[in-house]
Amino acid sequence: MRTLRNFRRAASLVAALPLGLAAQFPAKAPAATPIKPASFPPFQQATLPNGMRLLVVQSHKQPVVSVSLSFQAGSVYEPAGKAGLADMVASLLTKGAGNRSADEIAAAIEGVGGSIGASAGEDFLGIRADVLASDAKLAFDLVADATIRPTFPEKEVELLRTQTLSSLALDLSQPASLASRAFARGLYGAHPYARRADPASVKSITRDDIVAYHKARVCPSGSLLVVAGDLSLAQARALAMAAFGAWTGTAPAPVTFPAFPVRTAREIVLVHRPGSVQSNIVVGNLTWAPGDPRAYGATIVNRLLGGGADARLFMVLREQKSWTYGAYSSLVRHRQMGDFEATAEVRTEVTDSALVEMLAQLGRVGSEPLPAEEFERTKNALTGAFPLSIESANQVASQVSSARLLGLPADYVPTYRQKLAAVTAAQAQVAAKAMVRPAEALIVVVGDATKLREKLEKIAPVTMVSADGTVLKPEDLVVKAGALDLAMERFVPHTDSFAILVQGNPFGGQSVTLEKVDGGWKFTDATRLAAIIQQSTEVRFTDRLVMQSVHQTGKVQGQDAKIDVTYTDGHAKGSATTPAPGGAKTIAVDTDVPAGVIDDNALQAFFPALKWAAGAKFALPVFQSGKGSVTTVSIAVSGEESVKVVAGTFDAWKADVTGGAAPLTIWIEKGGAHRLLKLALVGTPVEFQLAK
Amino acid sequence: MQRVVRSGILIITLLGARLAAQEPRKIAIESYTLANGLKVHLVEDHSSQVVAVDVWYRVGARNERPGRTGFAHLFEHMMFQGSAHVKKAEQFQYVERAGGQLNGSTQADRTNYWDLLPSNRLNLGLWLEADRMRSLAIDQANLDNQREAVKEERRLRFDNQPYVGTLVDSIPVIYDREKCFAYGHALVGSMADLNAAKVEDVAAFFKQYYVPNNATLVIVGDFVPADAKALVAEYFGDIPRVAPPPPVVCDQPFNTGAIVRRVTDKNATIPAALMFWRIPPVADTDYPALDLLSTILGGGESSRLNRDIVRESKLAAGAQAILNPTGPTRGPGLFGVLVITNQGRSVDSVAAAVNAQVALVAAKGVTEPELTKARNTWRSNTIMGRQRVLNVAEALQFADLFLGSAEQVNTDIARYNAVTAADVQRVAAKYLRPDNQLTMLIVPEGK
Repeated sequence: MRTLRNFRRAASLVAALPLGLAAQFPAKAPAATPIKPASFPPFQQATLPNGMRLLVVQSHKQPVVSVSLSFQAGSVYEPAGKAGLADMVASLLTKGAGNRSADEIAAAIEGVGGSIGASAGEDFLGIRADVLASDAKLAFDLVADATIRPTFPEKEVELLRTQTLSSLALDLSQPASLASRAFARGLYGAHPYARRADPASVKSITRDDIVAYHKARVCPSGSLLVVAGDLSLAQARALAMAAFGAWTGTAPAPVTFPAFPVRTAREIVLVHRPGSVQSNIVVGNLTWAPGDPRAYGATIVNRLLGGGADARLFMVLREQKSWTYGAYSSLVRHRQMGDFEATAEVRTEVTDSALVEMLAQLGRVGSEPLPAEEFERTKNALTGAFPLSIESANQVASQVSSARLLGLPADYVPTYRQKLAAVTAAQAQVAAKAMVRPAEALIVVVGDATKLREKLEKIAPVTMVSADGTVLKPEDLVVKAGALDLAMERFVPHTDSFAILVQGNPFGGQSVTLEKVDGGWKFTDATRLAAIIQQSTEVRFTDRLVMQSVHQTGKVQGQDAKIDVTYTDGHAKGSATTPAPGGAKTIAVDTDVPAGVIDDNALQAFFPALKWAAGAKFALPVFQSGKGSVTTVSIAVSGEESVKVVAGTFDAWKADVTGGAAPLTIWIEKGGAHRLLKLALVGTPVEFQLAK
Repeated sequence: MQRVVRSGILIITLLGARLAAQEPRKIAIESYTLANGLKVHLVEDHSSQVVAVDVWYRVGARNERPGRTGFAHLFEHMMFQGSAHVKKAEQFQYVERAGGQLNGSTQADRTNYWDLLPSNRLNLGLWLEADRMRSLAIDQANLDNQREAVKEERRLRFDNQPYVGTLVDSIPVIYDREKCFAYGHALVGSMADLNAAKVEDVAAFFKQYYVPNNATLVIVGDFVPADAKALVAEYFGDIPRVAPPPPVVCDQPFNTGAIVRRVTDKNATIPAALMFWRIPPVADTDYPALDLLSTILGGGESSRLNRDIVRESKLAAGAQAILNPTGPTRGPGLFGVLVITNQGRSVDSVAAAVNAQVALVAAKGVTEPELTKARNTWRSNTIMGRQRVLNVAEALQFADLFLGSAEQVNTDIARYNAVTAADVQRVAAKYLRPDNQLTMLIVPEGK
């Protein structure tokens, strides 16, 4: 009876559950249901009589159309010395074309809620417009105008040049970008894949260069027009014929490219970035041209090695060792040759350890069998992500067109997931061995060479270079010597008076004078700050800005200050008495100084002659004659603003000065003589303001 | 040449049928509610092998009480810290290993969690969302850890960015904290409140708001409805319903007098002006006209502010309109403009120029081409967005919460099509008036 009662109670409990026992929440994540065969949106192709290839990806999900047109006109075809030209041509296509100005093009496309844009990569130059299907004709017309009839207005060329130079300046200040530039330069050698735009090349590009490049490279023959969305092949073809049918032009003659360098041993290129607290590492090698069957296995191994937060490089270098903020790897595809590259950003002191570990991990994928669970999981993540990459007609169009442009077969994208799924761990290991070859890798490290050189030499032979690629010798590291690019015409005699303000209240003044004297310059500085500082300094240097002498006398907080130093043939000799807590201290100065060194008491005289510009950075070799030591003073323009000083309100460059006795912020007049307008001692309430 | 001429005729015949104004394709929705109150909307779309699982909880900053601000956002972080069967950080791992993507976000009126997956992993997305709805791991260690993460996020995303900190802090200024605390405090919350948060507070917040009868589940993509419904019933069906949360009270008065504040921003290097006007909720009949007005004034290169203040008079280096910066609302909303001054121009003169442009709309209205452009932009953004299942899911959730039913996703366009130039002028005069406005004049620190 008791059993029965229990049974009944149990039964009523079961009945009380909303969905019965079957609804017990599963404790384990459900298994994947079977993958359906890949459903790939249909795409059709045609060739227009003028040689344009037309590819149509139909999708009637929403009434939208995207039109993209690509040419073999990437940076690889730029004439020598004109790096950046392809990108400028691309950007200018929509800045005036047919009978529309840049503003009118923007108004036309925005008026229908669409968008248009163009860009250039290494191999190709492309333009794309996205509109609602009812505006398809406008998209074709704008793309046709931009590619066939761009006007390249002089005003737009100059505007773009200014924008390009300022983004380049920013780019060149980023260590990751320096690393990638040095890596491309080393890996691709004489081949144009090695080239990157720099300020000189961008400045050298003329409107004629732009017109000529467009004429030579942007032509119908060999171009690829991809239309995706709510249109049929017949409709797309009709629109394409109306927009492009009358356009003719012969294909440019084939270009012969230099061979790719063959590397047989490991080599390190160390890009010196003085004072850097972290290092950017790139390790890699060339791989293969598109279409290599090993690419499928390599894709899986690359993901397993460095494709994300649960890949080996990240797990080891960040999670286990805490050496880095992130470590990744990637496979780069170009039409002629691809590469593998692994990157990490690590603290300076662990740079060598991190590099050794990276090389070990890179070697392991080819030398040890890939564990089944790790391999399958990685492959599943890639095959699982594939549908997300072809969800919209736009995505399909972009996948299909990049495959087509790389010269891959027509079935490449539709069969991609299936081929990836078929790769075995053994096949992947074979691919890995070819994909990553640490024994013959090019290694680029961007960081402070004074702290890294000796440690890295234990790993592989090291070539040191500066940020612009100039080879450096070990002695060049001691101090950054001369070679300052100065605007000599701005060395003009002048006298400036400054008010010294403490928390905004006047406490003293400074008067500086630059005078022309026999065979050179005399710079004098008289400074008075309440009863605390009275000193006067005189620095002499030659017409070629070679230091000759510095003499300073004065009192600082009641103590004597005195400097007498003479410079002869790269040598500074004399004595310096400076105030110190226990009483003034005198040191003998007797040391070699690098060519082009500037006495720190004359630094202010050099400000007007620097080539000030947005994002500009200067590294000045400076001799601190009071200390008898050489340092590199860095000046970096951090912005531009209107600044109000005693003498008035001026537009100014704002710059950070570091590496000297104390960090400073300075404001330099933008126009005219580039006078110093204001100087602030960072972290103190003291400011110098131009008064007269 | 003959070929080209023939093609021209062909275009007319081929496109003749399509030249009418484009509308988004109708979305067929199947809606139902579980016994525990969980609302479910399903949209089948087999055009790709992708599925989106999108859960909205009807909780956001508006549900926070004095002394407990920042909870909604803190809680969003807690939702990634593990639950009964999912360990810490495994939420990401499960989804990424399936080839999918996931995220969550907090707004004034809602908190969302979504998973975008290959369609054979719909079951994974539903299981993950159900596990955290039923059994979130709320403990001291997770709370401490995420409290720090939230503070770090505040430092990185707000306190370390020019203008953003000011924007975040200025929103509460325009609302009356006494009459409408719901919108009268910062979404990110105060550091003091976050520091004071106890495990019990967080647990109580979860019990109150993270319940089936306060959530809506939307599934869009490549699935069989019967299978999806069975999974939803199995995973979510027995999560108990709780008493509905207390109603949010907001009695925000409009037109209470102009507020002008001068603030310093330590991250800004260029002076800027940020202006806000109070506007009605998204569902209000005036809202579409205000939405279109924000495009006319400050959307794109050809907008009025860009044309007149940036390019012609060169007073500003940039200008943009910002509608509802902390997300759409069921309560009062905000119409905003941010202008960054040009070299040597005073922030006051730039602010005055924006006010003049706004006054001009109220006095003289907008042109038909401007209205058409704005409507086309809205229509185009809507239609282009609907190519992706996740965007469709979000559009359904938006319609469900802000417009009253998911079905409104198909009819909202009618509200926009009906807006006339006279409507735009009328709403400009009605809402964008000086006595309904907050002006923040932002100057860099130390200038």
